[in-house]
Amino acid sequence: MPTSPHAGARPSIAIVGAGPSGCYTAQFLRKDWPDAEITVFDRHEEPFGLLRYGVAPDHLGTKALAKQLVRIFDRSGVRFVGGVEVGRTMTLADLRSRYDAVVLATGLWGDRRLPGFHPEESATDPVGLYGAGRITRMINAHPGRESADVRLGERTVIVGLGNVAIDLVRLLLTPPESLTEIGVPDDAVAALGHHETRTIDVVGRSSASEAKFDAAMVRELARFTDVAFTSDMPDAADAADPRVAAVRELTSLPSPAAPARRVRFHFGWTPARLEADHRVRTSVFRDVEGTRRDLRLDTDSVITAVGFTESGQDAVRCSELRSATSDLDRGVLDSGLYSVGWCRRGPVGTIPANRSDAKIVAATITADLVARSSATGSAA
Amino acid sequence: MKFQIIYGTESGNAETVADDLVDEFDGDVEIEATDMTDVTLEELDPSTFLLVICSTHGDGGMPASAVPFAQLLDDEQPDLTGLRYAVFGLGDSSYETYSRGSEHIDVRLQNLGATRVGDYGRHDAADGSLPNESALEWAHEIIAAVAVEVPAR
Repeated sequence: MPTSPHAGARPSIAIVGAGPSGCYTAQFLRKDWPDAEITVFDRHEEPFGLLRYGVAPDHLGTKALAKQLVRIFDRSGVRFVGGVEVGRTMTLADLRSRYDAVVLATGLWGDRRLPGFHPEESATDPVGLYGAGRITRMINAHPGRESADVRLGERTVIVGLGNVAIDLVRLLLTPPESLTEIGVPDDAVAALGHHETRTIDVVGRSSASEAKFDAAMVRELARFTDVAFTSDMPDAADAADPRVAAVRELTSLPSPAAPARRVRFHFGWTPARLEADHRVRTSVFRDVEGTRRDLRLDTDSVITAVGFTESGQDAVRCSELRSATSDLDRGVLDSGLYSVGWCRRGPVGTIPANRSDAKIVAATITADLVARSSATGSAA
Repeated sequence: MKFQIIYGTESGNAETVADDLVDEFDGDVEIEATDMTDVTLEELDPSTFLLVICSTHGDGGMPASAVPFAQLLDDEQPDLTGLRYAVFGLGDSSYETYSRGSEHIDVRLQNLGATRVGDYGRHDAADGSLPNESALEWAHEIIAAVAVEVPAR
C-alpha cells in the first residue's frame, strides 16, 4: 500500500452513526490516517443502519455492501461501539471533549408526515396508517419494531412514487415462505398479511417520467406473473423515457385469466385527504392538472412513502447544530464537529452518493487536522 | 512488467477489490491502484499492464468514477497500440444489463488499439457474495501468465 503522508500521527476521531455514510467516512479517514484512533458509535447494537434496516432484504447485491463495510472493523482497526446513543447514553459535549474530531452521520429515519393524511403531531394516527420507514424497519427485523400494531389488509394504498414505494409493492407481493427465507421475522410476515386477494394502489404526484423510481425496479415486478398490473399513464407519455417504457412494458404483459392480485399505478395525483374514523377508510387524491375527477380509493391500510426527515425521537439533530460559522458544503458544523450523508445534505441520493459525500467530508477533516497539528507544532 | 490497476467504482466494492489485489501481489510484482477518475494518459503506456476493475451502475451504465476516464478517452482518442489489459467486471444478474459497466471501458480500449488478454473476469453480486475472492483468482492467472513473459528484475 502507498504510505500515507500522515503515518505516525494519531488523531482521535469519533463517528456517530454506523450507516453507510459513517462507515464510508471511517474508510476514507483510515486511508488518510493509518494510525488514527477511529471509533464508530451507533445507537443500535449492530452496525450498518440503513443498509441493515432500510434496504429491502431481497436485494442481496445491495445488502452485500455490508460485507465490504465490515472490513473496516475486521481488518482496518476501526472500532465499532454499538448500543450507545449520543445525546442520551453520553452527551455530545462529552464526546467532543474526548475526540479531536466528531462526525455526525446519524442519517434521517423519521417518516415525513403527509398533510391531510396524518393528523396534527399531537393526535393519534388512525389504525392502518403507516410510514414506509416503519414498515421497512419491521421487515428488516429492527429491534424497535412494533409489529403488533401493524396489519396490512387486502386493499393497500401506497403514497409515493420512489424506490421505497416499489420495494414495498414487491415485498407485499412476495409469498410468506419466500419472505421467511430471506430473513423477514415471523411477526413481520404476519403483519404484512398473506391475502389471496389483494389490491395495491400506488399513487403519487409525478407523471411516470418525473417519478423518482428506477426503471429497473419496475421491471423487476414482472416476475409476479399472477398479478395484473395497470396504470393510468396517458397514451401520449414519452415512450423514449425509461420509466415510461418500464411502466408500459409491465402493464402490457398478458394479464392472468382471473387475477386475484392487482397493482394499479396512478400518476399525477396530489394527496388531498385521508377519510378515517379510528381506522383508515378512504384515500382521496386530486388531479394535479385539475381535469380529472377526484380519485377515491377505499382502503384498509395506507403506507406513506414520501421521504424522510428528522425524527422526534432523535437525541441529536443536525438542524439544531447549524450556525453562522457552519460550512456545510465542506461538512463543517462547528470547530471539530462535522456532519456527513443525509444528516448533512437531507434525504436525497442513494448509497453511492453518500460515499462521494463521505469522501468530501473526510478530506475536510484531514485538512483541518493537518492544519491544527502544524499550528500547534505537534506534527510528526 | 509493471501492473497498473485502474478501478471504476460507485459504492466502493471495486476499490476494495483493487486494494486486495495490491495487498496480495505487492512485493512480488510492481503493482499499484488508481481510481479511474485520476488516470492520466501518460499512465497508459505499453510498458505497464493494465488491470481494469469496473462495476456497473443502475441500468448497465458506468459507475461514477469511470465516467471521467471514458470521457478522457473519447476526447483525446489516444493511440493505445501495444497496451495490453485484462478486465474484471462487477455486476448483479438481477438486472438484464448484468456487468455491462466494465464493457463500456473494454470497448473503448479496444477501439483505441489496446489488446485484451486472458479471461474476461466477472462477478455476480445477485447471490450476495463479495467479488474479492473471485477477483483474486482471476488476477493470479493473469499476473502469472504475464509476469512470466518478462521476469521481474
